[in-house]
Amino acid sequence: MQRTVRRKGGLDPSMIYKVFGAVLFIYLFLGFMVLPCLNTLTSIFTTRDAAGNLDPMAVIRFFFAGNMPSFVINSLKLAVCLVITVNVVGISIVLLTEYFDIKGAKILRLGYMTTLIYSGVALVTGYQFLYDSNGMLTQWLVRLFPAMNRQWFSGFNAVLFTMTFACTSNHALFLRNAIRGIDYNTVEAARNMGAKPFKVLFKVVMPTLLPTLFSLTVMTFITGLCAMSAPTLLGYNSINPEIVRMAGSSVADEAFPQARAALLSMILALFTIVLLTALNHYERKGHYLSVSKTKAKLVKQKIQNPVWNVVAHAYAYILFLIYMTPVVMIVLFSFQNWPAIRAKSLNVSDWTLINFFGTQDYSYTTSRGKQRIREGVISGVFSNADTVGGIRLSFVLSALAAALTCVIVVIAVNYIFKHRGKKRGGLVEACLLFPWLLPTILICYSYRIFFNSDVWYVLGKNLYYRENVRFLIVMAYTVVKLPFALRMVKAAFYAIDDELEDAARNLGASQLVTFLRVKLPIVLPSVLAVFALNFNALFTEYDMSATFHSSYGKSYAMVIQSMTAEEGRDGYNMNGSGRRCASTVFIMLVSGLILYLVYGVGARDLGERLERRKKRREFFARLTGRKQKTA
Amino acid sequence: MADTRVKQPKGVKLDHISKIYKDPKTGKDFYAVHDVDLTIEPGTFVTLLGPSGCGKTTTLRMIAGFESPDEGEIYLGGEPINALTPNKRDTAMVFQSYALFPHYNVFDNVAYGLRLRKVPKDEIKRRVTDILALVELSGMEQRMTNQLSGGQQQRVALARALVVEPGVLLFDEPLSNLDAKLRVQMRTEIRRIQQKLGITAIYVTHDQSEAMSISDNIILMKGGVIAQMGSPMEIYYHPNSEFVADFIGECNFLKGPVSSVGAGEATVKIAGVDVPVATDKRVSLGEEGEIVLRPEAITIADRGMLPCRVELSCFMGSYQNYHVRVGDTLVKITDNCPINKEIFDVGDNAYISFDKNCAHLL
Repeated sequence: MQRTVRRKGGLDPSMIYKVFGAVLFIYLFLGFMVLPCLNTLTSIFTTRDAAGNLDPMAVIRFFFAGNMPSFVINSLKLAVCLVITVNVVGISIVLLTEYFDIKGAKILRLGYMTTLIYSGVALVTGYQFLYDSNGMLTQWLVRLFPAMNRQWFSGFNAVLFTMTFACTSNHALFLRNAIRGIDYNTVEAARNMGAKPFKVLFKVVMPTLLPTLFSLTVMTFITGLCAMSAPTLLGYNSINPEIVRMAGSSVADEAFPQARAALLSMILALFTIVLLTALNHYERKGHYLSVSKTKAKLVKQKIQNPVWNVVAHAYAYILFLIYMTPVVMIVLFSFQNWPAIRAKSLNVSDWTLINFFGTQDYSYTTSRGKQRIREGVISGVFSNADTVGGIRLSFVLSALAAALTCVIVVIAVNYIFKHRGKKRGGLVEACLLFPWLLPTILICYSYRIFFNSDVWYVLGKNLYYRENVRFLIVMAYTVVKLPFALRMVKAAFYAIDDELEDAARNLGASQLVTFLRVKLPIVLPSVLAVFALNFNALFTEYDMSATFHSSYGKSYAMVIQSMTAEEGRDGYNMNGSGRRCASTVFIMLVSGLILYLVYGVGARDLGERLERRKKRREFFARLTGRKQKTA
Repeated sequence: MADTRVKQPKGVKLDHISKIYKDPKTGKDFYAVHDVDLTIEPGTFVTLLGPSGCGKTTTLRMIAGFESPDEGEIYLGGEPINALTPNKRDTAMVFQSYALFPHYNVFDNVAYGLRLRKVPKDEIKRRVTDILALVELSGMEQRMTNQLSGGQQQRVALARALVVEPGVLLFDEPLSNLDAKLRVQMRTEIRRIQQKLGITAIYVTHDQSEAMSISDNIILMKGGVIAQMGSPMEIYYHPNSEFVADFIGECNFLKGPVSSVGAGEATVKIAGVDVPVATDKRVSLGEEGEIVLRPEAITIADRGMLPCRVELSCFMGSYQNYHVRVGDTLVKITDNCPINKEIFDVGDNAYISFDKNCAHLL
């Protein structure tokens, strides 16, 4: 039998779009992912000696002869220690709030979750504010224990302490979900067969959490390895700060700094790839899923032994204090005036909004005893030109990058779904997941070095030059956020019933109309959530900003970092601490609002939203005395 | 009341169409639909029936344009449509999951196809109102789809397909998500509306009772090919194979050699007894004959045609269910309205009988 001819061939408009899309995608992938990273890789082996001869192994020799291994060892040490401390604290906070019957668990949970809105550079500078040698808590502790080392909060200890509490957010989210998914009947069955409570915990509950714990452990290890803001601000010689330092160095100061930075970033990439491959391999085995058709909700376990019960309660509240103290103190001090902040003493009479709005003059006495006044140098977050500039720049760059990420990912995922099970769909997906394998620092470092010269395929421009760096930052932000966005948007596309698209097509819609009017509105809430989460993460992002550090690309995080500099000398950085506290409050508000919109409002289903809307309307109708229109 | 008429029902012709897929495990090609050749008259209700994987949905999707036939041609109203994309075909489909757009309310869902066709607003309003009245959903225009019951969602899906006045209406197992009671109610509704509008309808289901109750014609498929086509009664009483007989309702198969052949009748020896059966089929003496008997066509009594022993006797309310052994063959009997009849218990000896016109020789 003869086969029929399917569709008409030829060059139709849709074909032109497809070709244009494919060319653009290849351009972006090669130009902004492959070539810069490839350049970094090759730069390791293209160093020249003093005579100008090619010496491919020079950096490797230098690596083993110099102090470079110490950076790698320091990073590994931090990562290993962090895995232990984060897991201990992370598992503790989840068990204390979800598994054991601890009084005040809801309040405790709120405290443990503050790191969701209080993280990154804001958290590190906040901890510094409280724990450094002049920090308020250090002062209290020294009063209690006079023999105590005032400098305890610096170097490895400080980084480990800060990151331990900063990195438990994932435990608070994912391990909590995992423990909530446990079928309580399995616990009851174990008890019924004679197991003691702690035996049940270790033999029944914990094993089902192992897959989640493994994923969290790998992610924590990578976080420790790639740590940037805490080591930089607290002074610890790990890989990332060293890469950034060398990226800005020149051959006049030291031997081939760029090639050494490239080698360090490649080492980091190797570790990341190996760890993510192991994680992927482990995840493919699948998680333990309850097969129960009538799953029972987990009932909190009362600790029967009174001594252990008291110990558990004490432990829970000590952790709560560690989590909450910096937040509360920062909030309180954000409403204190400059002298009070400098003296680290809370005073009700010193309450002010100056750290947020407005300016004040600063009067001081010179060494010759003269009274001087500097006008308006004590300024708040929203009245300080530098800070407002940083906020504005971060806002624009983050919003642009988050939007660009969403656009790329939505188009790509639509293509991937259309070509599900085909090689080209898989290829596009792999390209977008590519940045996931590479540490952020490698991508940013590669950008900084590669685009710091005229590059032919970006109109022959130097993208690290003056304002161009902002474009480079947007591109780096976008590339780094692609894998996360892809995973989220892909999950949203999975939720679209295939028959919806068929229905639209069957009713007469073209492919474009089907995409714009059927699929896009359905995935839009998820896309907006991805936009919001990416924006939130980028708005106070530190690692990339530090790598691209330039006067034309001074982001909010860099401004916050600059607030930690010595205050008051020559009138410079006046009220930096006040603005730092106020900035943290501002960031917490922004993050809190975004997370509420995404997980609070966004998590409600349509019915719930309509119900709430109806109630809102009824409320306003009652308020205004107007009659409600019936549907 | 609604005044909705289809412009002109169209006939469908599938001219030796085939669809080839690649087996993901073996990588080999196989026919999902093979050489299907049939004609559907305008205004009729035709059901594609068969077990999972028989090719019925693939056939329907080829008519809708979601799949392209690898061989053969599809004609709609006499025009070949293979080269047309789904949005260019004069068909409308009601999906298994209803495929209602969750971000639109009832009115917008139903009006969707009309808006794409750039129908004036006033007319859209009139037509949507009419069609919603037809499916008894007046007053629910502003409701979101998740505020409707399953049956109401089904009606919206039907209204959305009907309102564009398609030449052919396609149904892809539209009732499978409803509970049993609602399913019966909705299939009656669908049939009522189809007959009222006189539209051509092609309906896919694996539920034989659904197919029997609403179809003018049934196309029974197996393994990508047509096993039998015909009216429900024809297929029920005159199946052309053991598969068709077994798929459409319960049935018994009694096998034995043909002992005599007469005009329109033959006799088959079952358990040593000559059993007459009406048939037009050409059979020869001594040939192995297989009689198809529906359980409700058999009666059980103290005396009768074939001796049997009762192995199961179960009161089912409206009927008594028996399993009896005739020779080596197990025979199922549905004895309707058993209240004033003699009830046989397990282990009793009895006789079964049936009318020769109710039996069918394969």
